[in-house]
Amino acid sequence: MLGRGSSGQTSSPPARLLHRLAVVAVCLVWPLIWVGGLVTTYDAGMSVPDWPGTYGYNLFLYPLGTWMFGPFDLFIEHGHRLLGALVGFVAILIVIAAYRREPRRWVRLLTVALLVAVISQGLLGGLRVVLSDRTLAMVHGCVGPAFFALCVATAVITSRTWWSMGSEEGSPKVGLSRLVFATVGAMLILSYLQIILGAKVRHVQPTAEPGQFTTTVAQHVSVAVFLWILGSFAYLRLRRCGDLTLSRPGVALLGLVSLQIGLGVFTWVANYGWPGILGLRMIQAIPGAAGYLIQAKGFWDSIIVTSHVAIGSLILAFSTLLFLRVARVRVCCKAANSLPVTAVSTAALGH
Amino acid sequence: MHGSRQTSFIAASLALLVSLGCDSQIDRFETNRVFSLTLARSQSLEMVEAEADVARTLDSLFGTPNAPKWPKALLDKLELESPVDFDNLKRAAGRISSEQDGTHLGLFREHCVVCHGVAGSGAGPASQFQDPYPRDFRHGVFKWKSTKRASKPTREDLEKLLQHGVSGTGMPSFSLLASEDVDALVDYVIYLSIRGEVERRLLVRTVSDLDYGGEVAPGDEHRLTYPASEAVEEVVEAAVKRVVKQWVIAADEVVQPTDQITRLSGDELRESIERGKAWFHGPIANCVGCHGVEGNGRVETLDYDDWTKEYTTRLGLTPTDQDSMQPFRNLGALTPRPIVPRNLQVGVFRSGDDASRLYRLITQGIAGTPMPGVLRVDEENGKGLTETQVWDLVRYLQSFGSESL
Repeated sequence: MLGRGSSGQTSSPPARLLHRLAVVAVCLVWPLIWVGGLVTTYDAGMSVPDWPGTYGYNLFLYPLGTWMFGPFDLFIEHGHRLLGALVGFVAILIVIAAYRREPRRWVRLLTVALLVAVISQGLLGGLRVVLSDRTLAMVHGCVGPAFFALCVATAVITSRTWWSMGSEEGSPKVGLSRLVFATVGAMLILSYLQIILGAKVRHVQPTAEPGQFTTTVAQHVSVAVFLWILGSFAYLRLRRCGDLTLSRPGVALLGLVSLQIGLGVFTWVANYGWPGILGLRMIQAIPGAAGYLIQAKGFWDSIIVTSHVAIGSLILAFSTLLFLRVARVRVCCKAANSLPVTAVSTAALGH
Repeated sequence: MHGSRQTSFIAASLALLVSLGCDSQIDRFETNRVFSLTLARSQSLEMVEAEADVARTLDSLFGTPNAPKWPKALLDKLELESPVDFDNLKRAAGRISSEQDGTHLGLFREHCVVCHGVAGSGAGPASQFQDPYPRDFRHGVFKWKSTKRASKPTREDLEKLLQHGVSGTGMPSFSLLASEDVDALVDYVIYLSIRGEVERRLLVRTVSDLDYGGEVAPGDEHRLTYPASEAVEEVVEAAVKRVVKQWVIAADEVVQPTDQITRLSGDELRESIERGKAWFHGPIANCVGCHGVEGNGRVETLDYDDWTKEYTTRLGLTPTDQDSMQPFRNLGALTPRPIVPRNLQVGVFRSGDDASRLYRLITQGIAGTPMPGVLRVDEENGKGLTETQVWDLVRYLQSFGSESL
């Protein structure tokens, strides 16, 4: 699937409109995740108790003035729904574009999956409201980033870079070892696992045992450290691979994971203060920590917490992009050269 | 055939989603089983029947987390004012939602439950990360208040606490919330505290007055419920009356210095601080015994707060003995942690650092903790501090902080 056609060459030109629409979807879904994150941060998920309408109005006919100048909760929840609907329309256009111009059947099926995913996500959001269910809110929060990753994947596999890798002149000049492939694959899996763990922390049930919550937090922290180690390794292996389409996402991924760890610390402090398990004396040794006062519903605190959610999705997106490109390079190298991949990799990496 | 497989797949997926999407049910408040076990251990009793009947009685008096009740008729019968506004209770209880005008509902679950737990036990999901642990409202003991050590806080105390938060702890400031929301939360906290304390009293009374505690449950006539026979109703009413009355009279228990602190400067201030330092280190206040010579709290103490002592040292159990603690932990008790004297050098006072608060802190101590109050005397007699001497000590404490006098 990731390689060339049976002839070894891609015979059809890339469907530009499909790619552009996929990029538009990516550009819309990340803000959608931001707004969705804000909805949870402000506990605004139930600020509009009906669905699919808004307080009895058709979603698109809710009075603009009431929406724009009403309570903030209503503003972000209704805005989240409108933005979600817009993404749904884009997903429909993506399917149409794919079936008009896209030669690869599996890509056409992927776009259908994309549409099914966005509809399911909308239904999940609706069920969360209708059932007033916090666990469904968590599932909705986990499906969102998966959908985002799907959009990124569609954009990547319909891009010129992807097509050019399959042509003679664009054939990859580097090879990548199985270890790099496995590392990036592990990052993809772990970054999604991390989103699930984060959602479990964020949507904790009121009746959860303290021990359960502590375990989930410990897992979340451990996976973060592991992701950083994997990100560092991937960065070291990709930075001089000679292919900017790989080295740049590698740098970005490591930077995002590092940023995310910092945001995670601040998110925790903004929600729960400095953790007591550090010990009172250690906390007193941290400047400002002993007198730190949590501000419930503080604007900047909310931005930090929500950006932690959004950057988590961005890490998943970059992991998806990098994984697909690394996989493509490996497949194309195998097809293009009779040289063993490890030999190409060794030569390319200067070992 | 193919279509039916697809339908089955979609149905199965939806079923999976729905099953995943089942919130844990919060139909009832959890029973205070730690206290029940404490009673069982201290008096070698069987508490299963008592627990169940107390829970039923509480449900009939106070309702559930989603549908709270307030025993207004009972309070009228007992000729007690209501310390709680029932409309506020309804706003603060239940699931989180908001209305078109921005009114928030389910406030306790939105803001408090993750640390304080559904019943206000202080053992919410995030409690293990807090030091000190979140307050267990069910004891009816509150640290930061304007009233006497053994008294309940006033409504204003709780409002201020919510507005200002507690620096250096997990307790946030809710100053950005609408004042009606803060009001509703205060009502709900009082409600949980009254409910929890009535529960504790009823558990005690079941074994002391109603023949519970044996292997056989008492007969119907003595079985705890409400409404019930006259004898049983008396037990319930006595418990409710005692707890509610303390809340009603809290405003009369406020500790006020005779005169406000005089603003000093220059040499006068320096001399006052020096005198305060002497009281700090002297035998009457003996603050140095726990807070250390430099006020840095670096004195080895091994003590616990009253919430912990109840099921540990007062039962003759060692808090650090994991085997002894395990049965209590299994029922929801948090791991006992020693209480550490405050490092005053940090200049952060959890009660707030204004003079009148520190005055109360010195003269009343901190309820629920080993911090004692210093006796306030009118004339120097070597047993307590006069008001002027307390103000000297206040100025010395404030000299650790940043507030200008």
